[in-house]
Amino acid sequence: MSFVWRKRWFVLLLPLLAAITFWQIRVETDLNAFFTATDDEDSRLLSGLLKSGELSRRYLLVVEKVEPAAGVSSSPENQISVAGFGARLVNQLAKLDDVEQAWPADQPPRDWVDAVASYAPYHARLFSLNPEQDAQELFDTAQLAAKAEGLKQALLSPQGGFVKAIAKQDPLLLSLNGFKDLQGQFQQQAKLGSGGALILQSRPAALDSEAQTRLQAAIRASFDSLNAEAGGAFKLSMAGVPVFSVAAQSEISQDVTLVSVVSSLAVVLVFLFLFHSFSALHWVMMVQGASFVIGTLATALAFPQVHSLTLALGASLIGISSDYPMHVMVHCAKHRNTPLSAARLLWPSLLVGGLTTAIGYGALGLTGFPGFEQIAVFAFASVAASLGLTRWVLPALLANSQLHSAHLPGIAAWVDFCGRHRKILLGLFAVSVVLAGLCLPQIRWMDDMQKLAVDMDLLKQQDAAVRSHFSSIEPGRFVLIQADDWETALQRSEAAERRLKSLKQAGVISEYHGLFPWLVSEQLQTENAEVYQRELTPAFQQAWQAGLAKSGLSVDKLGTLLPVAPEPLQPAKVMDTPVRHILSGQIVTGQTGVMLSLWLGEHDPEKLIAGLAGLEGTRYFSQKDQLDQLAGKYRDRSLVMLAIGIGVMALFIWLQQRDLRKVFLTLLPSVASVLFIFATWALMGEEVSFLHVIGLLLSVSLCVDYGIFFIDNRGKDADVTYHAIASSTLTTIASFGALGLGKTPTLPILALSVSLGVTLGFLLCPLLIQKPKN
Amino acid sequence: MNIRRMLFFLLALLPISGLADEALLTELLARIRQTSQSQFRYEETRTLELATSPWHGQGYMLSGADGSLVKLQLKPTRLIMAIADQRMLYWDPQQNQRHSAALDSAGAAGEQIKVFRTILQGRTDELQTSYDIAAEKQGKQWTLRMTPKPELKADEIPAIEISGDDEDKQRRIIIKQADGESTEYRMQKATEAQQQEYSLQRLLLEASGE
Repeated sequence: MSFVWRKRWFVLLLPLLAAITFWQIRVETDLNAFFTATDDEDSRLLSGLLKSGELSRRYLLVVEKVEPAAGVSSSPENQISVAGFGARLVNQLAKLDDVEQAWPADQPPRDWVDAVASYAPYHARLFSLNPEQDAQELFDTAQLAAKAEGLKQALLSPQGGFVKAIAKQDPLLLSLNGFKDLQGQFQQQAKLGSGGALILQSRPAALDSEAQTRLQAAIRASFDSLNAEAGGAFKLSMAGVPVFSVAAQSEISQDVTLVSVVSSLAVVLVFLFLFHSFSALHWVMMVQGASFVIGTLATALAFPQVHSLTLALGASLIGISSDYPMHVMVHCAKHRNTPLSAARLLWPSLLVGGLTTAIGYGALGLTGFPGFEQIAVFAFASVAASLGLTRWVLPALLANSQLHSAHLPGIAAWVDFCGRHRKILLGLFAVSVVLAGLCLPQIRWMDDMQKLAVDMDLLKQQDAAVRSHFSSIEPGRFVLIQADDWETALQRSEAAERRLKSLKQAGVISEYHGLFPWLVSEQLQTENAEVYQRELTPAFQQAWQAGLAKSGLSVDKLGTLLPVAPEPLQPAKVMDTPVRHILSGQIVTGQTGVMLSLWLGEHDPEKLIAGLAGLEGTRYFSQKDQLDQLAGKYRDRSLVMLAIGIGVMALFIWLQQRDLRKVFLTLLPSVASVLFIFATWALMGEEVSFLHVIGLLLSVSLCVDYGIFFIDNRGKDADVTYHAIASSTLTTIASFGALGLGKTPTLPILALSVSLGVTLGFLLCPLLIQKPKN
Repeated sequence: MNIRRMLFFLLALLPISGLADEALLTELLARIRQTSQSQFRYEETRTLELATSPWHGQGYMLSGADGSLVKLQLKPTRLIMAIADQRMLYWDPQQNQRHSAALDSAGAAGEQIKVFRTILQGRTDELQTSYDIAAEKQGKQWTLRMTPKPELKADEIPAIEISGDDEDKQRRIIIKQADGESTEYRMQKATEAQQQEYSLQRLLLEASGE
């Protein structure tokens, strides 16, 4: 095809491809999808909890009075108590579309109260977690008169309607005995606050930052309008996982924009500095743009959704995919070759260089991070596109461009210096390698995945301040019960609850939210029923009737204590009622069997784990520990992948060169730079995470290209080849260096690892590989 | 007078009789409207579905201009039930039981006390949104009968009858729940001496436990 038609097709197809990509792409902003692997049951559980866990969808809101400004006095009609304002706010918030439920923290939501009443017919089957132990107190004949009087007072109290509905079926109010702990939780909360502590359950998942941003704005708007009516007497604080996710998302969005803009600008400036040609710049930018579009399209076709971070990190690939056109252009400018002849001449080196880069990214995809699988596909497609376009389209695009390659000062001098002092420098290098090797055991591995998260100290302080108004249930740590069927799971859960009760009494745990009596095993229901029937003697019934008569309550309506419900209350039946909403956060969806979680308040993990020892199918689960374990797993995998990546690159270079010495020399600069960087980190005490390793893996895949170009020296001019390598290094540093501006810790880590690796590798090339003969 | 003429006569008088009802209703609603702080001594009789005999209690009702309301029960035992800032408070010192709930989420009890406050403070606009109201007067005695509007949740809104005399010293309020339970209050304006004895603010603080 003629150059003119190649150019026309390129200019025509590029917008078409961009349009198809835009139509095809679904961008995902959920950080969890990028960072959490789902290749085992625990990881899936963690991923699910982060994504849609009940507690993680909760906002904790605190309304407090603000001190009026000096000289400002509010009118009496504006003087509303915190509790009153909180009640009004709850009413407003409950009407918002994204709100599943909102309620004051010191009282149960209305549907919980209704749900409790629905258990009255099963009172004889679920009155106690320890029926034998509690029977003496619950069925004490001497207490029956007092119980009847208590019932009368309850009927007269504001809860009279609720109590009456239960008493008709369960005169002894036994079913409420099971719910005593639930009542205790709310009473404990009431003691803590002045009524300004509110809970809001959002409909969208915690990490759906777009919906959560919208919801937070709506919450603030509702508050502001009510507060304006109240004369601005209140302030609102918010906490909860969604607050963090929105803040993190905002930081990441800013990072993505900053990195993309600075990276592109830096590459443009480097390019203009090197070639002084706007015409060439615009064609090369189009080649890069096309590589980016093809990479995005391939990712969009391979995955249901493309993560925004893939696009951000993909943007840094612009610097890499510009390596190939630039290499051609340097040779073209320095040798006064046509772009076509330069492209033909360099093609074998470019192909192997592209392959090694793709291998590096392929290895990255196998490290276990779901997000990096996307980046691997993205990189593979965009590197392939960049290579193809450099070979077949770039010569057509540059046909009429005048190229002037800048002379980079010091490049030739460094090559000459390395040549002249090779022996001494190699000696120093050998000593450095030995010393670096000795330093390696001192490497400190990062065990806390939290250190890779966006730093949000202010938000954490605010979170702690808000949580101090609530009796705390921790969203990330719980007791996990696993079993093949409901009955076994519930029996295990009840055994765990009995232990937790003892641990609470011993002060190991401040509180816990179990499943009893919302869900009760058949075994425990039978046990309860047997105790109930045994205790329900004629003497007991007579004593109860006497108590009722004494209190002026109807013996006809309350005197007959009903027999045990014939059928036990089945979990499936319970989960068909609104109770499933109450328990939805505690029934964890696993792939097999039944998983239940018992939520925990403040606790001592070690004592808790010891306290639960010996219980089958029961274990302590901590999201943080799980994440830290994942971090360790990722690190090990990335180290393996670093080794495998280098091995595969060596294989490909050998296939091209068929010379083991050349393979060794090609790889040596990049491998040595990795060694030196590890040693430096070890000496500096830097905590090394899997991301550091991944950054070095990338730097190896890029640096190996330099070795290939330098050793191949296709232009038969080592200075020009090294100039071309220097140009590539500059653009790589420009694009990856921009990542260093990001606030998300992952980005500076990658920036540092890649930039250091590439720079060291570049500098070591002329030292370790003897200057090829021109 | 044949039947046709009789019907015509009745039909002609009907609008006038309607106007008379409207005027009486306006007058009675104005009578129960109250904007300042007030205090009543009350006697309460409750008929519970599950009790054999009516229950009797007595105490004071204190109503504030800001919409707060305190029911201080002195017999048979001392306890306080109150509304302040859209919250219902309950304090039973004998049983050491204290409850606090948003008025809108307090169920039937919340609805009942809300209506009671509306009556006591004469918030006639609010009453007319929930009730069909009929007024009746015989001599000095007047009666307002309030039936929940059919479209509202009848099981939570009670029917109410308020009656009194022209001198306004006594008032009788009967609240009938949909389930058949009823509460009757006989109320008298508190004397000066009785008014000095109790402070609404102090009782509210006691109820909230602050």
